[in-house]
Amino acid sequence: MPARSFLHELNPLTKVAWSLAVITVAFAFQQPLPLLGLWASVLVVALAGGILKTILPAIRGLIIFAGIFILFQIFLIGEGNTVFTLIPGLGFGRVTDVGLTACTMLALRMLAMTSTIPVILATTPPKEMIVAFVEKLRVPYVYALMLVTSLRFIPTLQEELHLIVQAQRARAYDLESRNIFRRLAGIVPLALPLLLVSVQRARTMAISMETRGFGAGPRTSLRTSTFSALDAGVIAACLLCTLALVLIALR
Amino acid sequence: MIRAEAVAFTYPNGFRALQGFSFEIKAGEFVALIGANGAGKTTLLKLLGGLLKPTAGRLMVGGLDTSRVRVAELARRVGFLFQNPDHQLFLPTVREELAFGPRNLGLKGRALAERAAGAAAAVGLTPYLEANPRQLSKGQRQRVALASILAMEPPVLVLDEPTTGQDYREALEIMTIIQQLHRQGHTVLCVSHDMEMVACFAERALVLGGGKLLLDGPLAAVFAREDILAATGLLPPQAIQLARAYQAAGLLPPVTTIEELYAAIIGVLRGKKDARQVLPA
Repeated sequence: MPARSFLHELNPLTKVAWSLAVITVAFAFQQPLPLLGLWASVLVVALAGGILKTILPAIRGLIIFAGIFILFQIFLIGEGNTVFTLIPGLGFGRVTDVGLTACTMLALRMLAMTSTIPVILATTPPKEMIVAFVEKLRVPYVYALMLVTSLRFIPTLQEELHLIVQAQRARAYDLESRNIFRRLAGIVPLALPLLLVSVQRARTMAISMETRGFGAGPRTSLRTSTFSALDAGVIAACLLCTLALVLIALR
Repeated sequence: MIRAEAVAFTYPNGFRALQGFSFEIKAGEFVALIGANGAGKTTLLKLLGGLLKPTAGRLMVGGLDTSRVRVAELARRVGFLFQNPDHQLFLPTVREELAFGPRNLGLKGRALAERAAGAAAAVGLTPYLEANPRQLSKGQRQRVALASILAMEPPVLVLDEPTTGQDYREALEIMTIIQQLHRQGHTVLCVSHDMEMVACFAERALVLGGGKLLLDGPLAAVFAREDILAATGLLPPQAIQLARAYQAAGLLPPVTTIEELYAAIIGVLRGKKDARQVLPA
């Protein structure tokens, strides 16, 4: 974690509480505009923490996902007045005002909720996350470790995949085929080695953990999870805001 | 066969892996590429395979500019053996694994079957054609991976540490196979940390350090530059070090290869009645 900010200082659980608050508020509102505001507030938090640039690729991915989501849903809603039709003659691809609002609302809600995750991940070392969950929430250590380790595995797997892609390309394997079906079938030469290599890696890791005494007895942590005044303040603010916003939304 | 003109490569994260150097490798040469970890050896191999494109300069293989041709096209000319065979193997039998490359090149039917069988024979895997590659030993898997490259019949072989993680016998086996391929006319560029192996098989060495080409020349000349080798954390093979110690003591004439060392020692021993007379006190 190179950049240090108030977001990095917060207890991981405080950030999780913030995420839960965002989710609660996202479900309370039914209109696109407040949800857009909510999403903007998440991005403002990221900006204030100095990590907006770091998480931008993840946010872009989420936006693309939201776009696909809208595309799949929008033609399925028939109620309301027609705004435009894709193929007017056939009446195919009719988009209504109700559909447009509903889809935008759902997409923004999803964006607001999911955008909190990269913010948390970018500002919290996995170790701190485990300690917080185990000490404060009494989550069994093995489960917390499992979760964090699987997250930690993603970049490792990406590296492996990169090597596998290069190794297969060196065998004249063409990944740039235009045909989508051939591309889908073409995943096998990449997926199979990746699967086998990662199973191997996981087994090696399990053995190396056991040889270092994993599961031998009660563990202690070098650093303990503490709540500061800032944490208390942030949680209180989150609670208050959530309460107020939910009341406004339900009024 | 290979010509590098001020080739440089910088990774997207800004790491300058290759700082711009030139060299030429003629057809039929056996060249060792040596240097510490992070010196740029693997990057250079990936550039030769077209998997990475030079960020400056030009790299030609068999008359083709590696940044202009597709990787699949380059694969006909450059066979790239990766460090870890498990990154390549995914088919249920060795036979199918060997056919994967040539099939990608458009071969079918008998020609395809012949390529697979020929490649298996070249690495001594004919008895294992129907075996599952993943159930073979590490050394055998490395040979399957090598054969899967040979099946495309590339004139140039670039090998990234073909002997890592193998016992001495397996390592010697694979190096002997590579030597045979070299004698059959392949141009070989081989990364290795094992100086003894290098001394036994290569004719010439390129020494990389910090992305620069530090040395380029016949093996004997490269091993003579102990100062530069030491700066990159390399030592000449023990036999060469021994020969140098004898020379310094005036006990042996200057030698440059291990064969010459053997001959010189035997010659001196024959001239003395007692072998102990030639050894330093």
